[in-house]
Amino acid sequence: MADNKKYWRGISELENPELTQTLSEQEFPSQIPADEFLGNEDNLDSTHTSRRDFLKYMGFSTAAATLAACESPVYESLPYVVGPEEIIPGIANYYASSYYDGHDYASILIKTREGRPIKIENNKQAALNGGANTRVHASVLNLYDASRRQQPVVKGQESTWSALDSGVVEALKAAETKGQQVVVLTSTVLSPSQKALIKNFGSAYTNFRHVAYDPFSYSNKLDAWQEATGKRALPLYQFGNAKAIVSVGADFLGDWIGQSVSGDYAKNRKPGAGMSRHLHFEAGMSLTGSNADKRYKVKSSQYGAVLVNIYNEIASAKGMATVSGSDVMKAEAKAAAKELLAAGNKGLIVCGGNDKANEHLCIAINAMLGNTETTLSYENRSYFRQGDEKAMKALIADMKAKKVGVIITHNLNPFYVLSGNAAFAEAYKAVPATVAVSQKYDETAANSSFVAAESHYCESWGDFAPADNHYSLQQPTIKTLFNTRQFEECLMAWSGVSGDYHSYIKSNWSSLLGGNDWSTVLHDGVFVKSSAVAEEMAADAEGEASGADISAAASSALAMAKKAPAMELNFNQMTGMGVGTIANNPWLLEFPDPITRVSWDNYLSVAAADAVELGLKNWNESNGALNGSTVTLKVGDKTLENVPVFIQPGQTIGTATLAVGYGRVGAGEVADKVGVNAFALMGMEHHAGASLELVAESKHEFACIQLAHTMMGRDIVKEVSLDTYLNEAAQNGHDGWNEPPIFETYKGPLVADEVNLWDDFDHETGHMWNMSIDLNLCNGCGACVIACHAENNVPVVGKDEMRKHRDMHWLRIDRYYSSDTTEATAEEEGLSGIDMYANMEVPSESPEVFFQPVMCQHCNHAPCETVCPVAATSHSAEGMNHMTYNRCIGTRYCANNCPYKVRRFNWFQYHDNTLGMFKENYAMNDDLGRMVLNPDVTVRSRGVMEKCSMCIQRTQLGKLEAKKRGEKLKDGQVQTACQSACDTGAIVFGDVNDKQSKVFAMKQDKRMYHLLGSVGTQPSVFYQVKVRNTKA
Amino acid sequence: MLVSPQSLLAQEIQGDAANGKSLFNSQCAACHKLDKKVVGPALGDVTQRRDLEWLTAWIKNNQELRESGDADAIAIFEEYNGSVMPAFPALSDQDVMDILVYTIEGSKPKEPTETGGETVVAAQEDDYTLLYILGALLLFMVVLLARVKNTLKTVQGEGTTSMLEDANVFTRTALNNPRVVTVLTIFIAIVFFQQVYVNLMAVNVEEGYMPHQPIKFSHKLHAGDNQIDCNYCHSGARKSKHSNIPSANVCMNCHMYIQEGPKYGTEEISKIYAAVGFDPESGSYIEDYEQKPIKWVRIHKLPDLAYFNHAQHVSAGKVECQTCHGPIQEMEEVYQYSSLTMGWCINCHRETKVQVETNNYYEEMHAKLKEKYGADADITVEMIGGLECGKCHY
Repeated sequence: MADNKKYWRGISELENPELTQTLSEQEFPSQIPADEFLGNEDNLDSTHTSRRDFLKYMGFSTAAATLAACESPVYESLPYVVGPEEIIPGIANYYASSYYDGHDYASILIKTREGRPIKIENNKQAALNGGANTRVHASVLNLYDASRRQQPVVKGQESTWSALDSGVVEALKAAETKGQQVVVLTSTVLSPSQKALIKNFGSAYTNFRHVAYDPFSYSNKLDAWQEATGKRALPLYQFGNAKAIVSVGADFLGDWIGQSVSGDYAKNRKPGAGMSRHLHFEAGMSLTGSNADKRYKVKSSQYGAVLVNIYNEIASAKGMATVSGSDVMKAEAKAAAKELLAAGNKGLIVCGGNDKANEHLCIAINAMLGNTETTLSYENRSYFRQGDEKAMKALIADMKAKKVGVIITHNLNPFYVLSGNAAFAEAYKAVPATVAVSQKYDETAANSSFVAAESHYCESWGDFAPADNHYSLQQPTIKTLFNTRQFEECLMAWSGVSGDYHSYIKSNWSSLLGGNDWSTVLHDGVFVKSSAVAEEMAADAEGEASGADISAAASSALAMAKKAPAMELNFNQMTGMGVGTIANNPWLLEFPDPITRVSWDNYLSVAAADAVELGLKNWNESNGALNGSTVTLKVGDKTLENVPVFIQPGQTIGTATLAVGYGRVGAGEVADKVGVNAFALMGMEHHAGASLELVAESKHEFACIQLAHTMMGRDIVKEVSLDTYLNEAAQNGHDGWNEPPIFETYKGPLVADEVNLWDDFDHETGHMWNMSIDLNLCNGCGACVIACHAENNVPVVGKDEMRKHRDMHWLRIDRYYSSDTTEATAEEEGLSGIDMYANMEVPSESPEVFFQPVMCQHCNHAPCETVCPVAATSHSAEGMNHMTYNRCIGTRYCANNCPYKVRRFNWFQYHDNTLGMFKENYAMNDDLGRMVLNPDVTVRSRGVMEKCSMCIQRTQLGKLEAKKRGEKLKDGQVQTACQSACDTGAIVFGDVNDKQSKVFAMKQDKRMYHLLGSVGTQPSVFYQVKVRNTKA
Repeated sequence: MLVSPQSLLAQEIQGDAANGKSLFNSQCAACHKLDKKVVGPALGDVTQRRDLEWLTAWIKNNQELRESGDADAIAIFEEYNGSVMPAFPALSDQDVMDILVYTIEGSKPKEPTETGGETVVAAQEDDYTLLYILGALLLFMVVLLARVKNTLKTVQGEGTTSMLEDANVFTRTALNNPRVVTVLTIFIAIVFFQQVYVNLMAVNVEEGYMPHQPIKFSHKLHAGDNQIDCNYCHSGARKSKHSNIPSANVCMNCHMYIQEGPKYGTEEISKIYAAVGFDPESGSYIEDYEQKPIKWVRIHKLPDLAYFNHAQHVSAGKVECQTCHGPIQEMEEVYQYSSLTMGWCINCHRETKVQVETNNYYEEMHAKLKEKYGADADITVEMIGGLECGKCHY
């Protein structure tokens, strides 16, 4: 068949086949009149430029150009005219602030240099959501996104604020006179001042409505809480107190209800007698599931049935009435119930999805356990999710019936998140005046008559009440870069409130602060009130408790389980993307997903068994690049074409998972057209019945940077059960669970570190920087990867380069699956050699998952140093492996000799987009994007090697500050970027010569081991053995 | 210089104008000028307006004078909107006289001063003349020798050859000799490669670079004559990696009052006013003025690949500014004193002692270093890792 294919050079050739003939006969499409010119002697004589002249001119211009190039450039140095008091050039300022984009909330510190925000740090003082996730860490880059809306838009034309304001006010008046509704449509509003402003704005209109809708809705869950407790708000969960955690589909470490619990969860994950036990039921492989002690596979539609069984087990143990159950996961449910009962009021059960019956069952189980105010709080509720689907449905109906005169959207992109709901788009177009307050000319903005260009959160004031008693402030750290306004200022302009939003918040807070000082709260960024509730928030949430009927809930849950579809599609959010609010962020797009290690894509995860049945394939090319089949995905009458398939170990058979947040239009040059839009298939539920159809001979190119998915019997990640950890010795001759590698030598058996060819460095004098990574606390969330990206000016290389494994991340998080074949089982089966290893390469269908952050190990006997021909990489007395970019000539010997594969080579000039290759890397190749760069770290050029420097700019700064103070450097005063981004405390960095330091204690821990210790590289980075809370 | 000038009041004043000038500059110049009203009145003709006794009393303690009910004193105080002049009890009567003599001397029209420029140029020309003379002499000798040779040949009855022919023969003989050619080739190659090396090593080494600055700011005047501490303007040097060029508002701290310089008058100082929007006539800032930054030309510039931190050297290392920047207090125009090459950095790190004794940060490290290098050894930057690549390149 292929031989019969015809190729055209262009459409003109297709239309005019004779062209091919003509083209093949002559070299140039049109004749060059050379003969004509040279043949005519008169003509030649009359030209003034002889060949000699030509050479003269050329010689002169070459010489002139050469001479001109010899001159050194003159650099101008422009000081401030009036220097701002708080800015000392070269010294960073930190401002406490908050992040909220309608989906993620975090309490943060913004690092600024010379007035430019360049990095986000966790606000460690915050009691709630002080641990920012990948998205929040990356959000600073969106400030410098040139595709942000820079001017307001009126009817598709760039316009001015006064034109927009008068247009909007006119439309509002018109709506009021016609008796039409004025609607403000937002995602959950977390800000009390914003809420007051919306209320104030609405008071001028007889038909005003404020509708809140969450992109990833938990509306039914909220309804369940309202029915059970009378308050439409979720409780604050306290995972730090939980000894037994059962999660039925709740990905609480990834994306759940907005509360950041990973730090809290980690408190009880330190191995020891008090370690919590975490059981997890889920359909797809999530971040939380991969961290569980025991993970069970079950379809989402059967979550309810599992909960019913757990309910019955606990109810019968407590002597309470049971409801009719089913035999779905009965044994597993029994095991979970046993754990919960053993933990008593320190047990906690949570569920995922957006199902009212399931939530009622959870509430009832938790109530039976008596864990209220221990592991979850009724008194302190969180307000991260307040969306209401019923209100949204009513709004769509009203819009369709032309009852709505003006709709103002903010923090929500309904055209995108409701793209599965055709009725919305139609209804929206029926509204006479549509106002989108947006940072982007996104899907909604493009369909709105007014687009109010919104400021970035780093340019805005704000306040938040994310939970009862918890308050935080947001402050601008830079003047607006473009002609933008924040939403609240728009509302103030449209409702005629004078003054600025800053003073509005301040006056709003005067009663709230009590005796506290505004400046102190602004400095800290957070404020916890000792009593009373968040009035603004609570007022909306109060309602009638209608009580819950558990048997009704149970039968509804069982009914759903009964009609579980043969192929169930689950919607989830990827760690690096969330719901896509800040999609145009190359750091996030290039961030490899912790589970699949795929970047620049979303994909349909399916189980291996289903893949075989449906003929779906994943295969690698000779250079290691991953390819996959694509499918046509159908949910009801909605179809999504060309969805790439990724075969996911641990995926429940009969389920598939697709992440939302991709497939954007108008998000910006980088994010647009990356992936497919899962919202187009999503309804209000988080799962749906679907059908998959293989696209014949399809091939999707993935950028998956991990090739080996199992450890193949090696102890790269050492793991031990809690039982063994507690009862057996770590080092016990050859028998312990954490034996260092031992070599037989002529001197007798020696530990690898003692078998040396090299002389040792003096590491007793001065500092000796070491890093400990606790594999028990690391949950793979990847905040450290993004923090490292921002701190160290790591370039973004784009999908094509990532596909070739040319990722530049200094810090990667390797993910390994367990395999069903181990050396022991292979022996039983009589397998050996290649057959055994081939089997060991295949991940288990229900694998255990391991995460391992790997950066340069800073070997004290570094293989890279010995092979560098120009000594560009060398060792420091402080235990670091230095990399001198200006000395490197790019032989790449070091990378080849590195056993950890942590060295990264600059194949191209990633910070130069003149050839159009690296438009993704806008953080480095446009003037606006470059404002995010850390001025203390060199931007590397093409042809040099780079790698983790252990944030040497930070250690140097810490030492200098101590010298300036004339004091000893104290433990904790120097933190690497990854360490300070880690909410769980998995990364500990410090000076091991300081015997009081935390890292010194970690080095003495019996769990301590060196990665690939048998190589004898004596790294400065060491790991702590992972302990799973299991018996065997 | 002792003078007894005549004045309208015909007062006899005796004093040292030089001492008066220095006192005036340090004590009075912030508020007074000789020829212009600033915060206080112009003082050029003050001795013609007031008698000496009154002036002495006023200068030493004007408040006392006012309280004593002196009408003139109260009048002048009110004329200047009650701006308080501090008392100067430390000044002796003779000091006051010196200042007053300076007010008279200083306001006399300046006599043109002679410049030494011409002599310098002449001296340089001398150098070249000597060379020219030597060259001419050499040429003369060559011609002379050729003449002598030809004369001798004529005497012997041989045909004479011209100088050109001689040179031709010589060159040919030499070039036919392989040894000469080899030696010559080696010589030329050595010179060539040496020049290439020297020139390449000098690329971007800007020692002595002295660009013209937008304002003819004199470090000699400010740091030298007036003894202003470097850190007053370059305040970042102690705290930060950058020793910042001061923002114009720092200049204004003094130049709000000092509106005229000794060399260029108001011309250069007015450039600061143009930048910040200050009106020297009314002595106030212009409202809604579009400020223009001063575009200084950067002199010291390390490549981006090298990290240099001023605070590390100035605050922690206690290195004097002059160690790297040279005799800045004598520079009328600043030039790059040091080569700023890596060899230069490294050399200093090898020789410079660390502040181990005085800074508690080094306490433990110092104890260890003493074990290693002996109790009396000088601890240099090299010994604490100051030569490691990563200390400056990251």
